[in-house]
Amino acid sequence: MTHFTVTLAAFEGPLDLMLHLIKEKKLDLFDLNVDTLTEQYIAFLDAVENKLDIASEYLSELASLIEYKSKKCLPQEPNPLEVDEFQEDPKEALIRRLLEYQRFKEVSQILNDRFVMRQMQIAKPIEKTVLEQSPEDSLYNIHADQGDLIKAMQKCLQRFTITHPSEVRINKVEISIEYRTEQLMTSISNLREPFTFEDMTQDCEDVHMLIVTFLSILEMARQETLVFWVKKNEIRFKRGSKYGFNA
Amino acid sequence: MDLTLKALIEGILFVFGEEGVTLQQISDALAIEPEQIKSILDEMIPQYMSEDYGFELVVSNDRYKFISKPAVHDYVSQIQAQTKSRQLSQSALETLAIIAYRQPITRTLIEEIRGVGCDLMLKKLQAIDLIREAGRSDSVGKPILYEVTEEFLDLFKLMDLSQLPNLPTFQEESTESSLFE
Repeated sequence: MTHFTVTLAAFEGPLDLMLHLIKEKKLDLFDLNVDTLTEQYIAFLDAVENKLDIASEYLSELASLIEYKSKKCLPQEPNPLEVDEFQEDPKEALIRRLLEYQRFKEVSQILNDRFVMRQMQIAKPIEKTVLEQSPEDSLYNIHADQGDLIKAMQKCLQRFTITHPSEVRINKVEISIEYRTEQLMTSISNLREPFTFEDMTQDCEDVHMLIVTFLSILEMARQETLVFWVKKNEIRFKRGSKYGFNA
Repeated sequence: MDLTLKALIEGILFVFGEEGVTLQQISDALAIEPEQIKSILDEMIPQYMSEDYGFELVVSNDRYKFISKPAVHDYVSQIQAQTKSRQLSQSALETLAIIAYRQPITRTLIEEIRGVGCDLMLKKLQAIDLIREAGRSDSVGKPILYEVTEEFLDLFKLMDLSQLPNLPTFQEESTESSLFE
């Protein structure tokens, strides 16, 4: 038997997911068993491949479900300080939200049918000759000022940025101090003594790597594989007495 | 040869194409009372619905225009392949639906119904002219209110918002229940 793997991407959000679980497990929406739903919800999120991908909305709803469940487990003592204020039962509130969401989800399908149908219906553009012959036509006679022009331009640019999203790449190269130390051990073997800080940081591409290199140098100085001294306001380095021992 | 009033209106509608014309424009051009034009247009709409016509007369946000009937679409693409039709994602549809039924509405309220953030979606829908800002709410922080545009009405073939399909209601299966069971 093949199992359907349903991913979070198939859902529009936590409410959509809950409706799916309720339907799938044949729970009664009007007499909702929040405990069962919570268990299903947790099981589903656990099964989702990459936990880091779960949007915060799913986790926030999860927190509310667990809060509801845990409150039920605790003995309820009337708080004498609490003013008799009407508070909607969280379960009722959840059912109300689910029902409300379901209404819009269903109607959006009806709207989509209308949309698809309308897409098949085409109008023809206005006759160009009409526009050319009558410059006093209302379409030409536009009352607008600079502000409108700027607004139109901004809108145009906004549309452009949305339709042409710039490609975003996140490159993060993690480099450990240990690994960097090893690299430096090799690279300083070729350097003529005394060498400078710049000599050792030549291959650094970003601030992150620079910092790791700096920490590695401190570590090497501690281990005495590297010796430094200051001469004419410049730090100079040479291979230390322990150089080559741990390499 | 003098054309009938109906034929003149038809001709005007034909020329203005997708731009459409308003009742007032036709009335001004023909120097005839809007009420009379309106009654002719009201007659024309069902006439074009007949299977003898390949296009129909629609009115959206008070602009009348001709559009081809859905059945024509397949044959049109036989003659010339068309560019892919637009699609709206489920989240776009849900967001639009909420705004259309509850407008003017703030982003927070939309997000409360959908259970997810809609910031980016609202920007997208604004950029493609399906929604627009409609002032600010009086509540704390003066949040922006949103409403749908004429473009939205046209895209869903609605004369106005009152033509939106009814929101489905979900009833509890057994409405009878005893308090003391």
